[in-house]
Amino acid sequence: MTAALDIAGLTKSFGEKVAVDHVELTVPQGSFYGLVGQNGAGKTTTLSMAVGLLRPDGGSARIFGADVWADPSGAKRLVGVLPDGLAMPERLTGREVLTYLGLLRGLEKDVVAARAEELLSVLELDGAEKTLVVEYSTGMRKKIGLATALLHGPKLLVLDEPFEAVDPVSAATIKTILRGFVASGGSIVLSSHVMALVEQLCDHVAVIDGGRVAAAGPLKEVRGDATLEDRFVELVGSATTGTKGLSWL
Amino acid sequence: MAVAVTLVRMKVAILRHSLTGQRGTMAVSAGSVGALLAAGTIYLAFLDGDWLAAAFAVWMLGWIIGPVFSGGGDETLRPEFFSLLGLPPHRLAAGLLVSAFVGVAPAVSLLALTGLVVLGVREGAGPALVAVPAMVLQLAVFVLLSRVAVGVLGIALRSRVGAIGAGLVNGAILAFLGQGWVFAVALGQAEGIPPIVRYLPSGWGVLAVQGDYLALAAMAVLIALLLGAWAALLSRRAGAERASARGRRPMRAATALDAVLAKELRTWSRDLVRTHQLTFALAYGVFFAAAPLVLGWTGMLPWAAPIFIVMAAAMTANLYGADGTALWLSVMTPGSSDVRGRQLAWLVTVTPVAAVLVVALTAVNGGPWPMIVALSVALLGGGAGLVPLVSVYALVPGTDPQKRGGNPLRTSEDDGALTGLAYLMMVLVAASGVPAGVAAALWGWPGVAVGAATGAACLWWFGALAERRLAAQGPELLHMMRTGRRPAAAGKASSAFALPDMPKVQRAVVITCVSLGAIPLIPQGILAAVFVANGQLGHSWFLATHMAPGLRYPTAAVMIALGLAMYGTGLGIMYRYKKKVVYDKSPNV
Repeated sequence: MTAALDIAGLTKSFGEKVAVDHVELTVPQGSFYGLVGQNGAGKTTTLSMAVGLLRPDGGSARIFGADVWADPSGAKRLVGVLPDGLAMPERLTGREVLTYLGLLRGLEKDVVAARAEELLSVLELDGAEKTLVVEYSTGMRKKIGLATALLHGPKLLVLDEPFEAVDPVSAATIKTILRGFVASGGSIVLSSHVMALVEQLCDHVAVIDGGRVAAAGPLKEVRGDATLEDRFVELVGSATTGTKGLSWL
Repeated sequence: MAVAVTLVRMKVAILRHSLTGQRGTMAVSAGSVGALLAAGTIYLAFLDGDWLAAAFAVWMLGWIIGPVFSGGGDETLRPEFFSLLGLPPHRLAAGLLVSAFVGVAPAVSLLALTGLVVLGVREGAGPALVAVPAMVLQLAVFVLLSRVAVGVLGIALRSRVGAIGAGLVNGAILAFLGQGWVFAVALGQAEGIPPIVRYLPSGWGVLAVQGDYLALAAMAVLIALLLGAWAALLSRRAGAERASARGRRPMRAATALDAVLAKELRTWSRDLVRTHQLTFALAYGVFFAAAPLVLGWTGMLPWAAPIFIVMAAAMTANLYGADGTALWLSVMTPGSSDVRGRQLAWLVTVTPVAAVLVVALTAVNGGPWPMIVALSVALLGGGAGLVPLVSVYALVPGTDPQKRGGNPLRTSEDDGALTGLAYLMMVLVAASGVPAGVAAALWGWPGVAVGAATGAACLWWFGALAERRLAAQGPELLHMMRTGRRPAAAGKASSAFALPDMPKVQRAVVITCVSLGAIPLIPQGILAAVFVANGQLGHSWFLATHMAPGLRYPTAAVMIALGLAMYGTGLGIMYRYKKKVVYDKSPNV
């Protein structure tokens, strides 16, 4: 079966610094794939290259067999993306953003209206009909971002830190939506540095460290008998982690 | 005083780190131009106190309106940096004021203010002594007026009414400055500089040196008042701007093109920065064209429409940059009609206003209909084509709208590049109107057909180029927007207009030639020739129309040659160094 996302040898340097170094990842169809790593490990860079938002220095990325760089429209039709910290059309309301993007994706007007209605109500954004996205809180921004990623009915979701700054109630809603998406045959890749969350949601996991894949595969194989957090610290942590205190406290 | 000393040291440290490379060169060039102006001001001190007071009035205006065009002025130390320290506002304001004296602009202004000492020395020992404190107080007045103006504008830009008001005032001030000759002629008729100039705050230093010591006290009081006002403004600045919360009309778009159009039109009306830009362009066009009414001359009135269109294009030159990283959505939806939708939205926003100006003001003046209509049509097409093209080829990374600070004028960290982009756009859009203008001057109404043809060609062809660039280089442009930096290597996305590395003298020559070449070429050359051909002589603005019969066309021709030579020199030097850069780099590639 074709992989939902197949990353082969992706590489990216910024000046002297090698941010991503020949990353290889295969996300099977129907899997819930977690990408964990420290800040600056290369998670965002890898995901940006995988969906066509950043041109790699080398390597390739395929979404259901469609090469992201050779066949962009074929690949991008199948994927929904939630990038971390990028702007939206800021002077639109949530409903307007969804209408705009749905039409941009080539959906019918009625379909867009119905899906926007449902997304806004499920994500509890329908109370802010008159609020422009620029005035949204961080959590609301994540939710409208997720809504735009889901709008066109993609088969793969690529989510960069989807739970950061999201309140627990909204997080529960998002988890339900994501589990439902996987249950109905969709595939998800998400990045996070919260191990407990990845352990709770994902069935596959990859540990990224210094731009390389330190370990990857089904969750049970990667963590073995330990918890994911212990295994993670073992893979990437330096020996001194947690031993240094602050001199004045 | 501890706060002030710390802030000054902080600012010196930041300046030391930032004044290297290209920004350093920019600061050096700006400083040199400023020093020249200061020397001119000092020269006036040898003539007469009134002339000096008039020169200081111009300096003061520069301090007040300069920040509007350079993205909110000197923001090396932002008030937001210190909001968590719990400093009382007046101490923070005093500290920031002291640190505001560190920099190129204050140094240059202080140099200009030594004109007061010259004036004092000419009057005697006592006045010379008075001149020293007067100089310092006068500089404090300039700096504080500038800060308060930026603060007031920042507050104004939080409401729609304020944004419109600020745009009107700024456009009017700049237009009147650009039309200085009108007022010079009017003053010439009134013989001498009106006494009121001496009594403006900018003239108080001169008054003090001339023996009116009350002026010194007045400056001290004004400084105290301005400091209080600034402290109050600083404490109000904390929040970001608020958009209006009126009812939202539902989006009725049904296609991708309509969706982009609807999004853009909403952004035009809801983003107060854009509202300010458009109002500014309108006020500039109207006031620039109306200024000669002071002399009872209506001939320039119809030109308000073309000037408005050119200015609107210049103000919106960084269309893509202003949206920040929202570009990722276009990258993720290849084949969507983003460029075309934006072109359409620009036209829908600018055309109705331009049409009203064309009809109303040309009617008031009783013509020249073919010229104004032809130019307006050509410029509208040119602007709609060039705005997206320039904004993707010479993109200046903008600050994401949700991350803009308390200063809404600051839409980019690189405000020098933004100003350059605006000038570049002015020249390019004006050039797009030249064929229509020439045709209308020679043949009348057929010029409109020429304008429609060139306008449509610009609209279609430049739009297609922009679309292709966006499709090919979207990820690179997005990366530039994300990091706020142009790629360091000779990357494909680096701006086509960026100056290559070259020695300072050559750089200064290039900048001077390219930025000033348009003046002899277009108004003094091509347009003047058009007026001569039309028999419109004695046109106050255009040298050739004042010459003796045999010298009119030669004058215009010399001007055109001069303009072309300036562009040739500037671009020639640039091309030579660009090639050199490629050669130097090629062994490594």
